Amino acid sequence: MTMRLENGAGRLIDRDKPVSFTFEGQTVDAFDGDTVASALLANGIWTLSRSFKYHRPRGPLTMAGHDANTLVQLPDEPNVLADRLAAAPGLEVRGQNYAGSLTRDRRSLIGAVGEFLPVGFYYRAFYKPRGAWKFWEPIVRDFAGLGRVNVESRHGYYDKQYLFADLVVVGGGPSGLSAALQAARAGLEVILIDEMPALGGALNYARFVNGHADGLVDAVVAEPNIEVLSGATCTGWFADNWLAVMRGNRLYKLRAKQVVVATGAIEQPMVFRNNDLPGVVVGSAVQRLIKLYGVKPGTRAVVAAANADGYGVALDLHEAGVEVAAVVDLRPDPPRCAFSDRCRDAGTRIIAGHAVAEAYGRDRVAGVTVSEIVCEGQCAPSGERIDCDLLCLSVGYAPAAALVCHTGLKLGYDGDTHMFRVNGGLPDGLAVSGAVAGAHALDAALAQGQRAGWATAKALGAEAGPEPAAPNDLGNRGVNHPWPIFPHPKGRDFIDFDEDLTVKDINNAIADGYREIELVKRFSTVGMGPSQGRHSALNTARLTAKATGRDVAKVGTTTVRPPVLPEKFAVLAGRAFTPERLTPMHRRHKDLGATMMVAGSWRRPAFYGDPASPEETIRQEALAVRNGVGLIDVSTLGGLEVRGPDAAEFLNRLYTFAYKKQPVGRARYVLMTDRTGAIVDDGVACRLHEQHFYVTATTGGVDAVYRQMLWWNAQWRLDVDVANVTAAYAGINIAGPHARAVLAPLCDVDLSTEAFPYMGVRTGAVAGVPARLLRVGFVGELGYEIHVPAGCGEAVWDALMAAGADHGIRPFGVEAQRLLRLEKGHIIVGQDSDGLTHPYEADMAWAVSRNKPFFVGGRSIEIQMKRGLARKLVGFTLVDPNAPMPKECHLVVRGAEIPGRVTSCAWSPVLEKVIGLAYVAPDQADMGSEFDIKVEGGRLVKAVVVPLPFYDPDNQRQAL
Amino acid sequence: MTATRRSFLHEPPAVEADATVAARMGLADLSLGARTGFKGPGAMDWLAGQGLAIGDAANVAYPQANGLLVAKLAPTEALILDCLGGDGAGVDALDRAWSLETAGGCYLLPRRDSHVWLRVAGDAAPAMFSKICAVDLRPARFSNHAIAQTSVARLNAIVVRDDLGATPAFHLLADSASADYLWRCLIDAMAEFGGVAVAEDALYRQL
Repeated sequence: MTMRLENGAGRLIDRDKPVSFTFEGQTVDAFDGDTVASALLANGIWTLSRSFKYHRPRGPLTMAGHDANTLVQLPDEPNVLADRLAAAPGLEVRGQNYAGSLTRDRRSLIGAVGEFLPVGFYYRAFYKPRGAWKFWEPIVRDFAGLGRVNVESRHGYYDKQYLFADLVVVGGGPSGLSAALQAARAGLEVILIDEMPALGGALNYARFVNGHADGLVDAVVAEPNIEVLSGATCTGWFADNWLAVMRGNRLYKLRAKQVVVATGAIEQPMVFRNNDLPGVVVGSAVQRLIKLYGVKPGTRAVVAAANADGYGVALDLHEAGVEVAAVVDLRPDPPRCAFSDRCRDAGTRIIAGHAVAEAYGRDRVAGVTVSEIVCEGQCAPSGERIDCDLLCLSVGYAPAAALVCHTGLKLGYDGDTHMFRVNGGLPDGLAVSGAVAGAHALDAALAQGQRAGWATAKALGAEAGPEPAAPNDLGNRGVNHPWPIFPHPKGRDFIDFDEDLTVKDINNAIADGYREIELVKRFSTVGMGPSQGRHSALNTARLTAKATGRDVAKVGTTTVRPPVLPEKFAVLAGRAFTPERLTPMHRRHKDLGATMMVAGSWRRPAFYGDPASPEETIRQEALAVRNGVGLIDVSTLGGLEVRGPDAAEFLNRLYTFAYKKQPVGRARYVLMTDRTGAIVDDGVACRLHEQHFYVTATTGGVDAVYRQMLWWNAQWRLDVDVANVTAAYAGINIAGPHARAVLAPLCDVDLSTEAFPYMGVRTGAVAGVPARLLRVGFVGELGYEIHVPAGCGEAVWDALMAAGADHGIRPFGVEAQRLLRLEKGHIIVGQDSDGLTHPYEADMAWAVSRNKPFFVGGRSIEIQMKRGLARKLVGFTLVDPNAPMPKECHLVVRGAEIPGRVTSCAWSPVLEKVIGLAYVAPDQADMGSEFDIKVEGGRLVKAVVVPLPFYDPDNQRQAL
Repeated sequence: MTATRRSFLHEPPAVEADATVAARMGLADLSLGARTGFKGPGAMDWLAGQGLAIGDAANVAYPQANGLLVAKLAPTEALILDCLGGDGAGVDALDRAWSLETAGGCYLLPRRDSHVWLRVAGDAAPAMFSKICAVDLRPARFSNHAIAQTSVARLNAIVVRDDLGATPAFHLLADSASADYLWRCLIDAMAEFGGVAVAEDALYRQL
């Protein structure tokens, strides 16, 4: 049955563009511009989902995308607002939180025992005996809830964008439009954010007693200084007018000099028995349905009113062909207004001083009982039953002030208007305007908007013109009924639809001692659902005030935090920016079949060859270096230029060793400790000139070392300059007995041992490329570390590979290098040290100069040494060569004591035994001492301390 | 040495040869172009001694008569870019003239290798940047030859506005090791505006 109006109404829909989608597997016809909810209602489908706790049928309440009653399930996304979701071809929509079918939910039977399931019942019932909750929790969670996450869902494309504006106006209703136009005409750059697809806000659907805004939307659209973001929701205000705005799959991060919040007001429900039945809606919802979507919302309606807007709703229903059975006015003597006069003229029955005491119906309202109000919140025991399929509630509003409250502001309560209000105290650069500021009359909202726009222009120094006049009357009296709450002895009088909370639940929480509004919220969960209290906060405050004998103003409101509407994780994550660094030779590594590994932000070759047998590949790579020649890309090593007259003094203070007398043309080991004396990095310092050191650092540590250098340079004010040139240099280490033979033909530097000894540094050219050559020996063989401009790295690599072809040159990866350095007993900072390791613990006393007055961390090391060593790093092998090989971080144990741990361990193909480094107690560190390592399965493996290095103990090979 | 140099982009981008940059958006890899840098307390004096005219204000780029663009990053630091299609002679001359002994308090920086050099041009370029950079680069807010040292797609980056005729254009320099990553981010961000990778020639046509 179609409920689409035939009069052409529906400013958002295009009747020439039909679309269809499915709901619960059935095809639903719609028009372009429809939301899923409007299309369902146009097809007479009112039950969209089941409620959180009692599985009650729920339909739209506001049609504004503000209530949780319209949450539906999509294949890849739960909890989607059906009154925001555009109807689109192929959409597959389902209801949520039901067992069986949406219309026959087996779990709705739980409503029959709802009386025994008060707020917090599971805390009381299911936590004892101990451990019982583990049994009950999955059952409770299965029963209660919203949609279901599809863990198989496809990744969507989400991203973020920064925006900037002089003025951001949030809200495209009359006041926001007016503010934006005023400011833009004064020359401000304005962004106008509106959550609906079409500007105008209430102008698009509501009736106004006073004022008109003809042409306002067109003027805004035509204004070049205004950028309109329609269909966008500002979900958060943060310090300094930083706004989060969601639109589609994009999160805007908006920085504004001034912000005007013109978000309007949220129409509030009335409380009575079965006030959650589908077909019970706020008045503005039917106005939206009629005017925006051309939907006839029912056939026979009752309007419960306490203000002029209710009569406006009755008129709209009448014009849409809906029979208005009665306007039930809660006020005993309603004041006359143009709308009520027209209703009377149309013959509409008006029942004053009455309220709806109860609604009837199964899946949709079928009738109401209208009873006389005998005192505040109480109806006469009997009343008149009126059959209807639509009940509209127009009893008042609450300001949509969430954004304002993100500043930390708490709303006040005006006892005269019975409204929450913004009391002032807004931060500079933030203003409110329109209904959110209490201006309910159209002319007042427009005037406030003009003033807000003018004030922002003036604040920013624009030519703002004369100050617009303030409105005489905000039109906010007689809008809110003071007590639209009519508890029913049989309950089901819902305060919070999200969490199925009734009047009794709130009163019970207060009776249990939770008298403050924040405690009521936390115990009952009122306002904690997806609607965030938009339709429950006002009535909860009223109930709390009454139960505790206070004014609503004293009770106050709970803290409001971002976001205003639920934000998807995908929106927050957005387009992922994960920088990835590649070395200049990356393409060659891929061509050579390297398996890449992550090293900080870099990608490095772990090994080359068959990934199915990495261990054997790594051993072969290591043996190639030991017996022939290998090539490794070390471009990721940090490179720092330290230049200036005080360069040596600078290094002398920063590193543990001594550098002032280091000759030009020599490299020297550098070990950096922090102020606690802990090892933080290492490398070599190459003296290229009296005033120039090229210092290397670890791949992962160079950025921190660079920061340390800058910080200490600023402290010490030495005449020295520091530059991080890591990316500027490609590094290639050619190592092995044949290294010299491969390199020599390509290089204009004399590579002989005499001319270029171990730990020497030279500059020259390799393959015609300017190069820095370092004779260092991390892997313990004759080797040259060649540093060339990054743009030439690939060419030099190619030249070395070609030159080494006759020598069987083989590239080797990080894994082989780790093995080779272990054979030489070299530590890896961060693996063989931790955040507390000082140089003496790591057996690196040789790297600490005692003949200089200061270095960073020196004093701390001195103090620690006076206390004596607590542990020491030693080299070990296994007593039983057939014992299982320990792994890194396996514990060294001695009885109940844990003196240390294994930091590195591997099987050495050249030594043909297991070797490793481990921290042990000082009294276990003597050569030949034995200690136990607890390996997998809890087995103890006996290890013995051996001298370092394991391989080539006299270091003859690297000095060839 | 130029013959042995290659771009920091490991996969040569497919470029649209006849792309119209202004109406859409063009992204060009200028990594093989010449550039250098100097910093230190004596840097400005030394550069002035080489005949470069550099104003007092930092974060401003100063075009030179010989076509070089001197981007003054700080009172003590400058980045020098060759002109579009330049042969690098001007930059090379500066590099050759510098030595640690003679350029007191001025230190050469290997910008040619430390930084990838990209150029983004097109009317929508500021909007594209707003997806990956927090600085407002719209023409009315970020004047020609203004410099932003900021984060682009989470990378430290130098952005220099240097229009091509009437077309907004930006030099973008960032960590050379992250060139592929940055390129991907830019191509992705440009797609919304119809932006494409272009050759340097396409930039010429805007002049």
